[in-house]
Amino acid sequence: MDIILKFFGFIQGLGANVMMPIIISIIGICMGAGVGKSIRAGLTVGVGFIGLNLVLGIFGSYVAPAAEAMIANWGLSTSIMDVGWPAAAAIAMGSAVGTFIIPICLLVNIVMLITNTTQTVNIDIWNYWHFAFTGSLVYMLTGNIVYGIIAAIVNMVIIMVMGDVTAPLLEKANGMEGISLPHGFTTAYTPIAFAINWIIDKIPGVNKWDINLDKVQEKFGVVGEPIVIGSVLGVIIGILAGQTPAGVLGLGVQLGAVLVLIPKMAALFMEGLLPISDAATEFIQKRFTARGKMYIGLDSAIGIGNPTTLAVSLILIPVALILAVILPGNEVLPLVDLSVIPYMFVLIIPIVNGNGFRAIVVGIVNLAAGLLIATNLAPAITSSAIASGFEVAANTTISSICDGANPLTWIMVQFNKFGVIGVVLAVVLALALALWNRNRILKQAAEMHE
Amino acid sequence: MKKILLACASGIATSTAVNHKLSKVLDEKGYKGQYRITQCKVQEVFAQSANYDFCVATTKISGEVKCPVILGIAFLTGIGLDKVVAQVLEEMKK
Repeated sequence: MDIILKFFGFIQGLGANVMMPIIISIIGICMGAGVGKSIRAGLTVGVGFIGLNLVLGIFGSYVAPAAEAMIANWGLSTSIMDVGWPAAAAIAMGSAVGTFIIPICLLVNIVMLITNTTQTVNIDIWNYWHFAFTGSLVYMLTGNIVYGIIAAIVNMVIIMVMGDVTAPLLEKANGMEGISLPHGFTTAYTPIAFAINWIIDKIPGVNKWDINLDKVQEKFGVVGEPIVIGSVLGVIIGILAGQTPAGVLGLGVQLGAVLVLIPKMAALFMEGLLPISDAATEFIQKRFTARGKMYIGLDSAIGIGNPTTLAVSLILIPVALILAVILPGNEVLPLVDLSVIPYMFVLIIPIVNGNGFRAIVVGIVNLAAGLLIATNLAPAITSSAIASGFEVAANTTISSICDGANPLTWIMVQFNKFGVIGVVLAVVLALALALWNRNRILKQAAEMHE
Repeated sequence: MKKILLACASGIATSTAVNHKLSKVLDEKGYKGQYRITQCKVQEVFAQSANYDFCVATTKISGEVKCPVILGIAFLTGIGLDKVVAQVLEEMKK
């Protein structure tokens, strides 16, 4: 026992760059992905981590000082830097909760399938990191790894149920049969969308409003690309920071580079996890395919192609920036995650039945709440990032308007502020949802057999 | 040399997974070295499609595309994969 503890202590002491390749290799070998492939996979994740730190270095040395000058010049309060979801993914994967997340989530999925509390075989192993991210924040705040793991599990159960519930709507809107999207980010917004949609339905007159957005994507699509968002924002920040023309143009190219490169580094995480993801997919598919009405859980990326999703997201980019300046209490400057707003709308669009007006209303509410959540969670995210081996410059607070603004993550963190009582409440909530889903599934199955 | 465009939401996540599987299938069918796969974002398909022989997408592509588009979600789910592979091989033969 002593030797094992010493071994784990030694590995953790090596830092995330070395620890993650070792752990990913071990998990890969255990899941039967082969020794050579697993080691290569582990190293790929390590490369991604080093790459992410390099790009954040550019961010820290060029973009952050300019943004600070802008804030000082204009008396803004947006001092927290949105470094984007890849940072959240790195926190999740580099933390103790992330180490065990794949086997844990596979087990949760299997238990839910056996107990009929879900219809989804979730093969989107990569996105388990969203659950690990919630768990990592809870672990950081409570110092209790068990609480962290419970938070991750509760988060997954809620998302699995919402994935089941929204699958028929997705099929209607995007024509994708047999697929659900139990995605830690996308699916977290479904309760809010259901609620707002219900309220608008009740308001006479307003419930008839719609905005046709068909042409927006065609005409302005290029504006939504990371390279364009980054460069334009860089130039604006440069001007507002009172830099020289040379400095302004330089900053445009640098921020464009940051927005393009950060997700590319995250792609290396994804690539590294592929062999493990493939092995897990095969394992779970072999055992759980021939059972009633089933869904396969995929990455919500497959739903992005909907033209309304892309159009609404495009319109909300400037809205997010304006909100960031005028919203009282917000301290986050939206940057890197502006290009992942489409992921928020993949399930909102089917819920509001493709209505452009309602989608924009839901989007504005989500963004406003998201900015406040991202502000609130920023200290925890920053300390988690540092604990995961991230190089955050001194005096800089980081957040993300995507995962750092996730309402479900925030609620899970709030639960855990009440110690054991909060944990029990969260577990009860998850169990209640799971049982409700079980009733729904059994009812549906009975109707199918009639 | 067949030029294949692989489109997904970010040009990163699902297209990376499909890229691995598609390459494996094509190599097994004896097309090794006879194709080049480029990943892109769904928004870029419209502009880039003219330069490619065909496109495999993991999400719905709407609007005018100048090359044949194959929906490649089956590469992720494994369901109905044979049909999609047959479509891809059809395009490779052209």
